[in-house]
Amino acid sequence: MEKYFDASYIWESLPILLPFLKVTFMIAGLSILLGSFLGLLLAIAKLSSSRIAQKLANGYTTIMRCTPSIVLLFLVYYGVPALAENFGLNLHDIDTAIFVIVTFTLQFAAIMSEVIRSSYGSIDKGQYEAAVSVGLTPFQAYRRIIFPQALVVALPNLGNGMIALLQEGALAYTIGLIDVVGKANLIIASNINAHALEIFIALAIIYWVLSLIIEKVFSILEKFFSKGKKTLETT
Amino acid sequence: MSEGLNYKFLIDTFFIALSGVPVALLVTIVSLLIAIPLAFLLALTRIYRIPFIQRLAQVYVSFVRGTPIIIQIFIVYSSVPLILTALLKKYDIAMDVYKIHPIWYAFIVFSFSTTAILIEVFRSALSTVNKGQLEAAHSVGLTTYQAYQRIIIPQALVVALPNICTATVNLIKATSLGYAMSLQEITLKAKVAANVGYNYVEAYIDIFIVYLILCSVVEYGFKLYEKHLHKYKLADA
Repeated sequence: MEKYFDASYIWESLPILLPFLKVTFMIAGLSILLGSFLGLLLAIAKLSSSRIAQKLANGYTTIMRCTPSIVLLFLVYYGVPALAENFGLNLHDIDTAIFVIVTFTLQFAAIMSEVIRSSYGSIDKGQYEAAVSVGLTPFQAYRRIIFPQALVVALPNLGNGMIALLQEGALAYTIGLIDVVGKANLIIASNINAHALEIFIALAIIYWVLSLIIEKVFSILEKFFSKGKKTLETT
Repeated sequence: MSEGLNYKFLIDTFFIALSGVPVALLVTIVSLLIAIPLAFLLALTRIYRIPFIQRLAQVYVSFVRGTPIIIQIFIVYSSVPLILTALLKKYDIAMDVYKIHPIWYAFIVFSFSTTAILIEVFRSALSTVNKGQLEAAHSVGLTTYQAYQRIIIPQALVVALPNICTATVNLIKATSLGYAMSLQEITLKAKVAANVGYNYVEAYIDIFIVYLILCSVVEYGFKLYEKHLHKYKLADA
């Protein structure tokens, strides 16, 4: 076995791989930012009184839930430039990172819209009415009363959504993005496919640690933001 | 590509993609059949706090939840042949490990990851059933096995079903990664067909539609079963 498996490759590949986390984080960060915004719009559509908007937003979420990320990734990668060509735009030369961000934005928006909708639904409507009755404007009521309470409910789901996004992001290497997984595949290719297992184990360790950190951060945040909740329960 | 979609290819490839459905479903079903009993037993070790095994199950769940499935595939696909070669050499069995059908790797990877997901599903579902239920069942003379089979599991199943449905849909979606093991399922079949004429857009639209249909059918099936099971639900819920 010694000949085939050499654990030292795991430690040697870690410092080479870690700098490429920057790319992974950039993709994840931008997708989360844009996806949250789009998800908010979708959640507003789901909660609106318009039947058509509701149907459209729910349909979008169902479609996203049923599509494997890899299929969506390639659909965006090949489909968007082809679509843009009909309008006379040439998108064949833009950075692959853009396609990855578009894909995961679309996907995260669907996750986000459900997170926002369910956390909003968990807040009693009386809270809003009470806030407005004491003279807050609707915007103030949302910002000061509804949002802080909904956030606490949303946090665990938000954390799970982010971990899911980070993991789906590992597929970006398939369209040629050089993130941690892409770099790992390059290392393996330059080793003529030797010691692939050790490099993959290094990757697994990186992702495992990352998701443990995210989980930890969210459980701390949850504790921090539920402070106000405790006092309300006692009254 | 500006001349628009190649509709003939779109329709032809749809049926090629459709022919990959049995493989995807086979992998899904076999993985579920392996994962469900295993996950149930491991969930019980968590509920009964069996030392060591419970800790092991916890680490296992955390690993699977924390790593992308594609990396789990990579690891299994590159480690199993190594282990097998070593084992076969030890026992002097002449067999070419590189001729093993990729579907076996798919079974290993997907049952490995689904088990971990289902452990958490079963654990949370079992913990929603009141402990008094088991005690009541014991007091009327049922054995623990009977109590689980007739009292606990039917109630826990109602709670677990939506999550089992999500896990199944995710599993079907994950089989699309079988291409990394050169498994001839939906995605790979359509992709290979597209390689001839670079009709990737059409091929991926087909794959997209096939998964959409497949997952909608599965979700609908689960919804029907959920309605059927509803009679076990507690009255106060």
